[in-house]
Amino acid sequence: MILAMFRVMLLGMLRDRGAMTMTFLLPPLVFVIFATVFAGASGDDVRLKLAVVDVAQTPASRRLEAALLADPNLRAVRVSPATADQVRKRVRAGRSDAGLVIRADPGSAGAPFLIFSDPSRAIALPLTQGRVQAAMARHLPDVMLAKTLDQAGPAIGSLTERQQARANAAVAGLRADATSGKVAINPPQTFEIEEISQTQKGRGTIAYYAGAVTILFALFSAMNAAMSLIEERQAGVADRILAGASGMGPVVNGKFLFLLLQGCLQAASIFLVAQIFYGVPVQSHFLSWLITSLSAAICAGGLALGVVALSRTREQAQMFSTFLILVLAAVGGSMVPRFLMPPWLQTLGWFTPHAWAIEAYHSILWRDAPLASLYPAWGVLTGIGLGGLLIAHISTRLLRR
Amino acid sequence: MIEARAILNLWGAEVSYGSRMVLRGVDLTLRPGEIYALLGPNGAGKSTLIQAICGRLRLTAGEVSLDGRDPWSTPACRSLLGLVPQEIALYEHLTVRENLEVFGRLSGVRGPALVTAVVTAMGLTRVTDREHVPIRHLSGGYQRRVNIAAAILHQPRLLILDEPTVGVDQDAREAVDAVIRDLRDTGVAVLIVTHDMEQADGLADRVGFLREGKKVMEGAPRDLIQQAFGSEMEILVQLSEEPDGEDETLLIETGLQRRGRTQLWSMLDAGGYAAASRIDTLLRQAGLAPREIRVREPSLQNLFSLVADWRRAA
Repeated sequence: MILAMFRVMLLGMLRDRGAMTMTFLLPPLVFVIFATVFAGASGDDVRLKLAVVDVAQTPASRRLEAALLADPNLRAVRVSPATADQVRKRVRAGRSDAGLVIRADPGSAGAPFLIFSDPSRAIALPLTQGRVQAAMARHLPDVMLAKTLDQAGPAIGSLTERQQARANAAVAGLRADATSGKVAINPPQTFEIEEISQTQKGRGTIAYYAGAVTILFALFSAMNAAMSLIEERQAGVADRILAGASGMGPVVNGKFLFLLLQGCLQAASIFLVAQIFYGVPVQSHFLSWLITSLSAAICAGGLALGVVALSRTREQAQMFSTFLILVLAAVGGSMVPRFLMPPWLQTLGWFTPHAWAIEAYHSILWRDAPLASLYPAWGVLTGIGLGGLLIAHISTRLLRR
Repeated sequence: MIEARAILNLWGAEVSYGSRMVLRGVDLTLRPGEIYALLGPNGAGKSTLIQAICGRLRLTAGEVSLDGRDPWSTPACRSLLGLVPQEIALYEHLTVRENLEVFGRLSGVRGPALVTAVVTAMGLTRVTDREHVPIRHLSGGYQRRVNIAAAILHQPRLLILDEPTVGVDQDAREAVDAVIRDLRDTGVAVLIVTHDMEQADGLADRVGFLREGKKVMEGAPRDLIQQAFGSEMEILVQLSEEPDGEDETLLIETGLQRRGRTQLWSMLDAGGYAAASRIDTLLRQAGLAPREIRVREPSLQNLFSLVADWRRAA
């Protein structure tokens, strides 16, 4: 009996091109979009759009402006007319990510730079500061040295004539080297950097989004397929089945079995793309990936059947499922990485299956986590799914009345 | 008190929701090889009665017995019945054969028995020539017959049909009627819920009228009509145009009643053909030339109108 309903669901999907597209083509496509967007935004590849204006018009400010305009890591443009107001307007209009006004000589005391920052692009502020610091160190080392000497003066006392002469010579030498294109001072190597994985840059983000898209679409497709429970009720199929001895139990179980297969195949299609195009190591972690995918499919299938079985009409189920899919995805980290969220929201995320599924996939495919560390995630996902399935059974039993 | 030979017995069936009584002491007996038509206006309690018979509803009082067992407390006995819902309760993306295989399995039929059951059901309902066609591509008549086929795969002894011919044309209805007769001839007890009086008249061995949860009349159609109308005949007058106010008054004074919103007027009169001739003369004198006047025996429709009209029934 269970297999009969499984076959109905399977044939229904195979003969519905729209359902096939939604189930197997759309998820990998959305995953590729996410992977492209977020993997590119995770490292040095961000090329900030910076509006620059040199109001000071000193030799040093002109050198800094020229250095910024030539920086390959920036998309810097000189604003005309050269006023601070013009830069502000440009940032406010969204034509630049940030704006820089060189309002005094870079070597002068105080704050010679004014940065216009758009709070909706908050990341642009530290990036701008970093690029200005780098340009100063690389192209205006003489200015930096002179400024350092000035600032150190009160602390170390005045220099002797001999020391002052040597300092002036060093500043002049640096200026000459910088003007001739030689790099006189390399930025100080304050930090040694060690990456936790030697693999391709951005793969961690890709593994994250493969999991995020998988659980998002597993739930989305499961909700869509589970709607057939309501259609059967409205079309009289449930009446016909309930009039028999078997009841709705085999129907619910058959649908659940189909949703498991659908969820696993969908995950396979997404991670296949992740492995082929982005080198995410699915094959070498196949067993743990399979168990995670199965747990996610159990969760999505059970939850979908539970929600739909509790709904009286298709419209009601549609409303519940849309609400659930969007809210859970947003809080659980399917849309925005969880580490960017405020702490309380990150904690709230653990009440969604998305967070557990995403963390499980990420742990397997990025952190090479041991199996034992995945048991809680598998347990939670399977528990949610079986809970939903139980609700679906109870609810369809009540249909008898 | 409960008839032993009957496949279905209801005795004093009562269902109430709070203070509202939906069924009020309904008795019903159905024997193998019998077609019983359950009639009644909307809200009379027909659906509730079917739910009780299918074990989906617990009686507040009384008994329901399906071959001696209560379908509510003994769900296994529900394998004796097949339900044909009013809707086309099939998977429209599946073919006829695929649908029957699914519903066969859901009814507990498996293996070679399922193959035989599908072939037999398609033969009985005359849909074999469309076995590989998806339901959504079938005509309404075929869909109705497959709807029946899906309910007989497990060879039920009681078949319940809820409005089996709603929305189909005359030819399709006759085909469905023929299928129902064939099933009756194989010994299946058939309970039809219908608003189609003509179908009930032509098919049913017995009919029962429900009104406000009570069975107010039961018997063979011809016997009931004879009891209710005696020697009265129904006179049908088909007008060719809408009568004006004065003409309408004349028609009503003559005893005629308009049938719905049509130009068809009718009355019951013991005078038969003589009365029809008198009416014809009267109308022609008034300048109302009827297109057609027919005289026929009263039908279940007349009886239904009688039952539905509370004052006359009282």
